[in-house]
Amino acid sequence: MLIELENVTKVYNQGRSNEVQALTEVSLAIAPQTMVCLKGPSGSGKSTLLSIIGCIFAPTSGRATIAGKPLARLPDRFLTVHRRATIGFIFQRFNILPALSVAENIVLPLLPLGVSPKARRERAGALMDQLAIRHREHFPAGQISGGELQRVAIARALINDPPIILADEPTAHLDSRLSREFMQIMADLKAAGKTIVITSHDPLVTEHAAIDRVIGVKDGRIDVP
Amino acid sequence: MNAAFEKHCNILDYALSALWRRRLKNGGILMVFAAVIFLVASFQLVTSALTETAGKVLAAAPEITVQRMSAGRQEAIPLAYGDRLHEIFGIRATVPRIWGYYFDEVRGANYTVLGVAPDMPQADGLGKAVSGSVPWPLGQGRVVLGRAAAATLELQPRQLFSFFRPDLSLKPMTVAGVFRPETELLTADLIAMPLADARDLFGIPASQATDLCVYVANPAEIVTIAEKISKILPDTRVLTRPQIQKTYQVVFGWRSGFASVCLLAALAAFAILAWDKASGLSPEERREIAILKILGWETSDILALRFWEGGLVAGLAFLLGITLAYFHVVFGGAALFKPVLVGWSVLQPTLSLAPPVTLKEVLLLLAFTVLPYLAVTVIPAWRAASVPAESALSG
Repeated sequence: MLIELENVTKVYNQGRSNEVQALTEVSLAIAPQTMVCLKGPSGSGKSTLLSIIGCIFAPTSGRATIAGKPLARLPDRFLTVHRRATIGFIFQRFNILPALSVAENIVLPLLPLGVSPKARRERAGALMDQLAIRHREHFPAGQISGGELQRVAIARALINDPPIILADEPTAHLDSRLSREFMQIMADLKAAGKTIVITSHDPLVTEHAAIDRVIGVKDGRIDVP
Repeated sequence: MNAAFEKHCNILDYALSALWRRRLKNGGILMVFAAVIFLVASFQLVTSALTETAGKVLAAAPEITVQRMSAGRQEAIPLAYGDRLHEIFGIRATVPRIWGYYFDEVRGANYTVLGVAPDMPQADGLGKAVSGSVPWPLGQGRVVLGRAAAATLELQPRQLFSFFRPDLSLKPMTVAGVFRPETELLTADLIAMPLADARDLFGIPASQATDLCVYVANPAEIVTIAEKISKILPDTRVLTRPQIQKTYQVVFGWRSGFASVCLLAALAAFAILAWDKASGLSPEERREIAILKILGWETSDILALRFWEGGLVAGLAFLLGITLAYFHVVFGGAALFKPVLVGWSVLQPTLSLAPPVTLKEVLLLLAFTVLPYLAVTVIPAWRAASVPAESALSG
C-alpha cells in the first residue's frame, strides 16, 4: 500500500482548554495508482486526514505510513523533505499567488530544492505544454481564467513528479464544465501512474468513473454506511 | 553548482521579487531607515572630520602655552617670566604671543586676533596655512585673515581696513593673505598679525604678552617640562598641546554625542516601527507563507527568505544613507549640522571636510544601525516562519 493509516487519532491543542479531537482511530489503506475520494461535511475531519496523508503533521497516536515512511518517526524537518518528494497539493481555490507569473507559481516547490533556473524553466515548460497553458507562461496568475488557473495548480502539484496527488475540495469553486475538465485531467494522471486522493462532496467528483473508492468521513471517523 | 548555494540564490531571487511586489511598504521602510542612517552617519563623519581637521591645524600650535592667572582670570604675562624658564633643560625656545578677541560693533562680529613674534619656531606652520605666497613673517601693519572674517569685513576689492585701539584711535591694517579653506575650522574668525601690531591694537605694553609659547626639544618631555614650569611660575596656567587637542575632541565629542543620543532615539523609534511592520503579517502574507510551507519550504527556508528581505532593505538603506551622508558632509559642508557641531563665535566657518571613511567607521555604523534592525526583526521573522502549513487547506 502506498498510504497506510492504522488507528490514527489527531488531537489539536492537547491538554489545553481548547483541545479538539479531529480524528479518532482512523484506519485506511490506499493502493498505488488509484483515485480515492474522501467525502464528508465541513468539519468532519477530511482536511486533517488530508494533512496527515500529506505529511504536514504526524498523528497524535496510531501509525501513518506514507510512501514507505512512518510519519511518527520523522522529525518536522524530514516530514517536509518527505512531503516535497512524495506529495503534490492542489488546493481549494487553487491557492495560486496572483502577483507571480504562471511560470513562477509552477516552479515554487523547486526553489528550496536548489534546482537551477534553466532546469526549472525546462520542467515548467514541459508541464505547461502538457496542460496547454504555455501561452500564459509570463502572465500574472491573477489575470488568467479559472480553467487556466486550475491547470496552473495541477502543473505546480506535478512539478516535483510526486507519486501522490492530494486535492482539497478542488471543484468547490468551479462550474460543472471546469469540474469535469479537472476530473478528466485527474483520470489521465491516474492512468499515468499517480495515486490521487481528493476531498470533496461534489457528485461530479464522487460519481466520476475514474474514482475507485469513496471513503466517508464523519465526526472524525471513517463513516461506514 | 552546489545545490545549497543554488537554493539560497533561488530564495534570494524570490525575496527580491517579494520585495518588489510589496514595494510601497518596503519602499517606505527603506526611505525612513535610509534617512535615519543618513543622520547618524552624517554626525559620525562630521565629528571624525572635525577632530581630524582640528588635529592637523593644532599640530602647528606651541607645545606648551603659559598664561598668567589672577583671581581666576587670565592677565597679561610679563616677558620676564620667560627668562625664569631658561634654567629648565629641554626648552628649545620661549616666545611671547598675543591672543585676544576684538569685537567689531559695526558688524556685530567677534574676531580672534593672534599676534605672532617673528622668531616663533612654528610660525612657518601658520605661514603654510595661508593661500598663495605671502611673505612670512608678516611685515608691520600686514595681516592674514580667516575666510569668514574677510567676508564679514567686506574687503573685496579693497585690502585696507581699520580697527579701534582702546583709546578709540584707528589702527589701519593691510590684508596680506587669507587662510586656506581646509584650516577654516580654527581660522574662520582669525586675524593674524605681527606681535607689535597686536600689542598696539590692544594697548599691551612691550614688556608683556597674553601668552608665552614654550617649544621643547623632545615632544616626549612636554608633560614633564609643563610640570616644572608650573612649579617655577605658580601663578600661571600651563597648557600643553595634547591638552588643547583633547579639549577640542571633547567639545566635538560632546556635541556629537548629544546629537547622537537624539538620533539614537530616532533609531529606536524606527526599530519599533520595523518591529510593528515586520510582526504584523497581512492575511496575504500569512497565506503566501502557508502555501510555500505546504509546497515543501522548510521553516528555515522561510526564515532565510525573511532575513534576505530584511537584509536587502537594511543593506540598501545603509548604502543609500551612508552615501548621502558622505556627499552631505564632503560636498555640502555638513550644512544640516553645522550650527550644532562647529563654531563658537558669531562667525561660522564654512567647512571643507574630508572625513576619513575607514572600515572601522563603516563597521561601527553598521553595528549601530543595521544590526539593531535585523535584531528586532528576528522574532517577527520567526513568527512568520511558524505559520502552520495546514492553514493553506480549506479547514
